[in-house]
Amino acid sequence: MKAEVKVELKEGVFDPEGENIKKALNLLGFSGVKNVKLAKVYTIEVDGNDNVEEMCTKLLTNPVIHTYTIRKG
Amino acid sequence: MNVRVCILRIEGTNCEQETYDAFLELGAQPELIHLKELTAKTLFDYQCVMIPGGFSSGDYVRAGAIFAARIKSTLFSALKEYVENGYPVGGICNGFQILVELGLLPRLSDHPEACLATNDSARFECRPTLLKLENHCAFTQKMTIGGIYEIPSAHAEGKFVSPLTDELMENNQVIFRYCNPEGEHAGYPWNPNGSHYNIAGICNEEGNVFGMMPHPERAFYRYQNQDWTRNGNGAHGRLVFESVLEYARRL
Amino acid sequence: MEVPVLESDAEKLKEISEVTGAGLELQEMEKVREYFKEKKRNPTDVELQALGQAWSEHCSYKTSMPILKEVLLTIEAPQNMVVVEEDAGVVDFDNDHAYVIAFESHNHPSAIEPYGGAATGIGGILRDVVCMGAQPVALVDPLFFGLLDYQEKLPKGVKHPKFLFSGVVAGIRDYGNRVGIPTVAGEVFFHNGYLSNCIVNVGCVGVVKKEEIIHSRVGSPGDYFILVGGRTGRDGIHGVTFASAELHENSEHESRSAVQVGDPILKEPLIHACLEANKKKLLTGMKDLGGGGLSCAVGEMAYAAGYGAEVSLDEVPLKEKGMHSWEIWISESQERMMLSVDTENVEEVKKIFEKWDVPCTVIGKVIPEKILRITHNGTKILEMELDFLTKSPRYRRPYIIREITPVVPNGAPPDDYTEILLLLLSSPNICSKDWVIRQYDHEVRGSTVIKPLQGKIGDYTHGDAAVIKPLRNSYRGLAITADVNPRWVEIDPYWGAASAVDEVCRNLVSVGASPHSLADCLNFGNPEKPERLGDFVQVAKGLHLVASVMGISFVSGNVSFYNESHSGAIPPTPTLLGVGIVTDIRNAVTADLKEQGNSLYHIGKAEKEMGGSEYYEVRHVYGNQIPRTDPHILKSRIRKLLQAIDNQIIASCHDVSHGGLAVCVSEMALGGNVGVNMSVNGVKEVELFSESNSRWVVEVRKGKEKEFEKLFGKDAHKLGEVTGKRIVIGDIDISLTDVRHAWETPLWRMMG
Repeated sequence: MKAEVKVELKEGVFDPEGENIKKALNLLGFSGVKNVKLAKVYTIEVDGNDNVEEMCTKLLTNPVIHTYTIRKG
Repeated sequence: MNVRVCILRIEGTNCEQETYDAFLELGAQPELIHLKELTAKTLFDYQCVMIPGGFSSGDYVRAGAIFAARIKSTLFSALKEYVENGYPVGGICNGFQILVELGLLPRLSDHPEACLATNDSARFECRPTLLKLENHCAFTQKMTIGGIYEIPSAHAEGKFVSPLTDELMENNQVIFRYCNPEGEHAGYPWNPNGSHYNIAGICNEEGNVFGMMPHPERAFYRYQNQDWTRNGNGAHGRLVFESVLEYARRL
Repeated sequence: MEVPVLESDAEKLKEISEVTGAGLELQEMEKVREYFKEKKRNPTDVELQALGQAWSEHCSYKTSMPILKEVLLTIEAPQNMVVVEEDAGVVDFDNDHAYVIAFESHNHPSAIEPYGGAATGIGGILRDVVCMGAQPVALVDPLFFGLLDYQEKLPKGVKHPKFLFSGVVAGIRDYGNRVGIPTVAGEVFFHNGYLSNCIVNVGCVGVVKKEEIIHSRVGSPGDYFILVGGRTGRDGIHGVTFASAELHENSEHESRSAVQVGDPILKEPLIHACLEANKKKLLTGMKDLGGGGLSCAVGEMAYAAGYGAEVSLDEVPLKEKGMHSWEIWISESQERMMLSVDTENVEEVKKIFEKWDVPCTVIGKVIPEKILRITHNGTKILEMELDFLTKSPRYRRPYIIREITPVVPNGAPPDDYTEILLLLLSSPNICSKDWVIRQYDHEVRGSTVIKPLQGKIGDYTHGDAAVIKPLRNSYRGLAITADVNPRWVEIDPYWGAASAVDEVCRNLVSVGASPHSLADCLNFGNPEKPERLGDFVQVAKGLHLVASVMGISFVSGNVSFYNESHSGAIPPTPTLLGVGIVTDIRNAVTADLKEQGNSLYHIGKAEKEMGGSEYYEVRHVYGNQIPRTDPHILKSRIRKLLQAIDNQIIASCHDVSHGGLAVCVSEMALGGNVGVNMSVNGVKEVELFSESNSRWVVEVRKGKEKEFEKLFGKDAHKLGEVTGKRIVIGDIDISLTDVRHAWETPLWRMMG
């Protein structure tokens, strides 16, 4: 089973990397870029019943700043 | 009595030698221990645990996350007991990140209640920083409240954020805050990462678990200071080690 | 697989070399054919690839070594211990310790993939130091790019300098910071000659107990070859042949696999494990796997001891399935070292690496005959005499020494000297580089006692050299710096190179260090073009001129040729890494002005040698009389300055280089956040902006002026004093705030 975990910053948490990338794109001439957000995507291949939800809470996210979504495929 | 200090590391920890040397210089008995070698039983052989700086596991996933997860899976209840017994546990830079991810700072918890997030500048910041001592804990008794201490920072993820920040301020758990040479709380670059309330270091409610982003082991001798060729300032980082050793001896 | 060399004519031989990527010239292919004719068989593909690696310019120095041996490497110095023959130079530090220097280029991969190329450059140079048994203590990164504001159309296949610059710095940062070795010195130089070929040189200094020095050669027959570190994959294949050829527009597609992938989190425990095994005296030899991978390492290690090797590829841990034998043999996958271990110590070595979670595999044995024999899956895939394999042909390629007809510009002096100073301060090769420096952890290990950025907290300026205090129980220090001015070398290779040695020595002395040894990274275009090789010869001579008088030698180095594309070659760039000894770091000196009322002196004389100066650059003027140097004068001034520093009469010191006296003094003022009031006598343009060699500005402590003047005599004269918050030098009058703004902001504005 393949699970796709997408980890993003919560609404309202400042994203300095996204901000920097937006600035760089604007400087390169892409003046229309309004916002850039970063997300990390983990594609996890699992054999058996390992709980992907638990993987998120135990390692992949810090609940103070992250939200996450899981897509199973 | 010689204080045995466990300096904990895994691959990517890279400030362990200086941390070890700091304790050795002060007459303690430091040991470099890989996480693999530490057990629930051997933990209690030490009167102090320090988690030094570095890039444990490359900071992959999130700074400190993997090291914390590995500790949690084998040692959490033993560590909990260790902490409840009043033993000092300190984290420097990556160590601070680990204690937060572990749920030992700002308080005992089964999930993180704070985060040392990416610096506002989105850059690694290696610069001298000035810290004002706001409150005492096991790691600061030799210092003076209100004093300004020169201890350098070097990190990419040091911005302290937490829903509990107000509580920490009220409970006197905020130990160090970044300041400028006049002692005022100022923005970048005096606060290199944008942390809330310029927080640079905190402790738990009991004061025996402590974490700080700047590196006291890099301010152990006066010639490690940024500006030692122009003034006679002492070595401020040394005081952190002296303080915790005194605390450990009295236990 | 058999390669039909015996049956091939000249055309076919050339084709084979190209198609296989072996990169051998026709006469080399003919030599191969001759050898295998005697063996009465064709070479295997593994054998051909191995020859391609061993005989590449990068590995064999076939073009450069004849010249270097004759011209440059003839200097002897009593402090030298191991020089040139191994991967790093070893030099005496104190009774029990030596320091180790390695210096290398990673140019071609960085032009294609700047992040990975630069990162693996750091990875490689660390291994060169570790394989001598030394603990790395500092990293150095001199970098050269096209101008960041380049607006015109980029040649096909070439990436914008901004992209390359930020990628390279990020690569060095992420690798160096993770592995925990401070990056303390370097240089960034911008010049459009580097547009198509950026230059990334990386250096490393390490410290070792003399009794723990280990060599890159096996012990004796019966010793086992143990491969440790990362797995072997397809990354990095043909890295050395790629480095031995010009870049072209399809280089990215064709040569992408030649860029290696680094893993600092594997390197960190690898270093610990190797040093531990060495300390416990379990190794007979250690060598890092760099250019050419297994193929160069095994052959060279065995041959250096006068023996041979029998190796099996069966056990080599692989990253990917289905790799061909030749791919395994020449892969340049990172983070690998080769150990030679006596039979009785093998188990203990394995235990150490297991403890550190680092892969460790026995792959072969040392044999008494000077033959290399490799098997894979039961088949013998390589068998050659090491005399043949490692002795690449040496070339005496033709060279032409350029004529330099003097060009002296006519021009009126500037209307506004203050404006010129501001232009200089904000020019790319003078402005603050803190955008780079603060990304590098230059404090890890807690031994950086003189840092790259110096001065009051909150104010800062560039330091001339960094100083490391490597030993806990000793105040002895290592000063480290890296320099070259490629614009000068381009104009006049001989004097430009001589000036580079002068600059390195000046920088070391500025912090109170005695110049002790050098490493060189010689970056040039295509040596098969006689003018390029002529520049190489002149550079070697110029380097020799000053180094020999100073009594320091080139203990280690690297030659990078073929930094060229159809738009031209890079300026000849002989980057130098200099190391000096500070007998007591508590006497070290920094560049920031310390106290109001102190006197400022100028050591040396400004001459009208403005060719190649930043002053001519900002005035868009060309002249080719670059500064020359008299190494005897340099040596004498150095002796006096070190004496003065020892006598503690110097409060701050900064060498005069880019931008001349005016910029030098401004930089000192910025560090101390205090101004100056000075006057200049003579031709203003020259006094203020000449970049003549062998000069410093020093701040002398109050009350010590007479002592200073007695020591220096006519060699120094008083400029003025430290005072106020303005820079006042004759016609120049400007606030420190404006100076700071001009100097600090340009790189931030460019890079964001």
